Amino acid sequence: MRALRAAMPALIPFLVITGALELAVRGGLVRAYLVPAPSSVFRAMVESRGELMRAMLTTSASALLGFLLSAVAGIGIAVFLSSSRAIQRAFYPYAVFFQTVPLIAIAPLLVIWFGYGTRTVVASAFVVSVFPVIANTLNGILSTDPALRDLFRLYGASTLVTLFKLRFPAALPQILTGLRVASGLAVIGAIVGEFIGGQGLGSVVDIARTQQRVDKVFAAVLLASVLGLALFGMINLISYVTLRRWHASEQG
Amino acid sequence: MNRRDLLLIAAAGLAACGKSARKIRLALNWKPEPEFGGFYAALYQKSGLDVEILPGGAGTPTIQMVGAGSAEFGIVGADELVVARSRGNDVVAVFAVFQNNPLGIMVHASRKLTSIGDIFRHPGTVGMQRGLSYARLLEKMYGFDKVKIVPSPNGDVSAFLHDKNFAQQCFITSEPLIAKRQGADVQVFPISDIGFNPYTDVMATSGNLLRTKPEMVKSMVAAVREGLRIYLDDPKPTNLRMQQLNPTMPLDLFTETAEVQRPLIETDETRRNGLGVMTKERWETLIVRLKDLGDIENAPAAGECFRSV
Repeated sequence: MRALRAAMPALIPFLVITGALELAVRGGLVRAYLVPAPSSVFRAMVESRGELMRAMLTTSASALLGFLLSAVAGIGIAVFLSSSRAIQRAFYPYAVFFQTVPLIAIAPLLVIWFGYGTRTVVASAFVVSVFPVIANTLNGILSTDPALRDLFRLYGASTLVTLFKLRFPAALPQILTGLRVASGLAVIGAIVGEFIGGQGLGSVVDIARTQQRVDKVFAAVLLASVLGLALFGMINLISYVTLRRWHASEQG
Repeated sequence: MNRRDLLLIAAAGLAACGKSARKIRLALNWKPEPEFGGFYAALYQKSGLDVEILPGGAGTPTIQMVGAGSAEFGIVGADELVVARSRGNDVVAVFAVFQNNPLGIMVHASRKLTSIGDIFRHPGTVGMQRGLSYARLLEKMYGFDKVKIVPSPNGDVSAFLHDKNFAQQCFITSEPLIAKRQGADVQVFPISDIGFNPYTDVMATSGNLLRTKPEMVKSMVAAVREGLRIYLDDPKPTNLRMQQLNPTMPLDLFTETAEVQRPLIETDETRRNGLGVMTKERWETLIVRLKDLGDIENAPAAGECFRSV
């Protein structure tokens, strides 16, 4: 009952919008081949449940792997960049590169470098999701409270100790923000990767679109957003566990 | 400036908008290339038509655009049109550029394959759009368990050049010529080999427009037919214009493509009955095919899929 009450604010817009859409399509206001009725999306989901579930599992695995790579590499790169101003100036512009790569343009190259299938999809998820992790982590590490840094220096703490005991924990809220942004991007990246590399929800969307099955396209898109939500929820859980004792964002 | 002046200006602006909205939009499903030469060569203004050609790309939903009225005319495939009609999208074919399907699969000649079926009997990778009817027909005929099916590279030939066992869906008038220029020894198998030969680059309009503006549709078709004649007789000036819109394609490739596509556009049938002509028998054959493949549940009548105007 309490869970229901907690979900209510999110549930009401959903019910209103799907209800209105259903009526609009049935009443002939919107053509079914442009926007499908929610009921037909649901039917497509039930009809093709086996295919959709398998596709969703594949996409989940690739998106998750790409996301984990982004998290590890992104934080690692940020720590490296934070070590000195000179290094930052030398390498940060190249990190920005990841944010501006037009994935579609290099798509044919991706499949030549990584082959058709999972590796291309993971690479694509990684490329689009790594930058927010780098940028947010770096920002977090660089904004350590100077008073605390002085304190650490006063007690003769080494650079490594300062990094792991002070700068890194203090940067956690920003790191988690970066990961939240990255989680959604990883799903998008995986699906774009699947358009070119084959398999998963991206492939289902591509095929259904060619067959003019708008209902199935929407069914697959819905599942992709469920996947995005799940990843997002996972980060929120981690955030709650790690921050609730000391950071304002997870208190109250 | 007082308020009345502002209102007048606004009204004039609205009138101007109304005027430009009367433009006839023709949505292409690909970049300006020789396959659309007839549309670019057509002398619309002579027929009193104000036509705007909207170039497209992979996945431009021309058929939905025509159905929704965001384009008066659109370039579609005959198979696509049958599927659309069976799903309640009232679109009608009025002109067919390709009498014979230019779709094919290209392979490296070094593999010494002898037929389309051979492609699927030997290990390799095939880039094709699985959503298209011909792909399901191939799957039904040969099975896909020996080969790896990957998404169509949409005109890009780099994977093909890179891998000797890569085969890819193509327009026999396009990708094979590009791959040859890059030094590949290419062999092409047309899809019509397996008896799948829908009209391609079909100009479609909406049933609504056919009812409300039959005269406009008629002059459009006449202009396009004449345009295609002009293009076939002398592709050069139109190629020059199209190349400016699509500068990544070299001019001599335009020239070469225009020659290669000629026999697919001009056939005995068109010499008897005019360019762009369509017959009920061929639409019927296609509909039966699509029904057998399970692509459509309710088969539309052949007679309502196209209109000779």
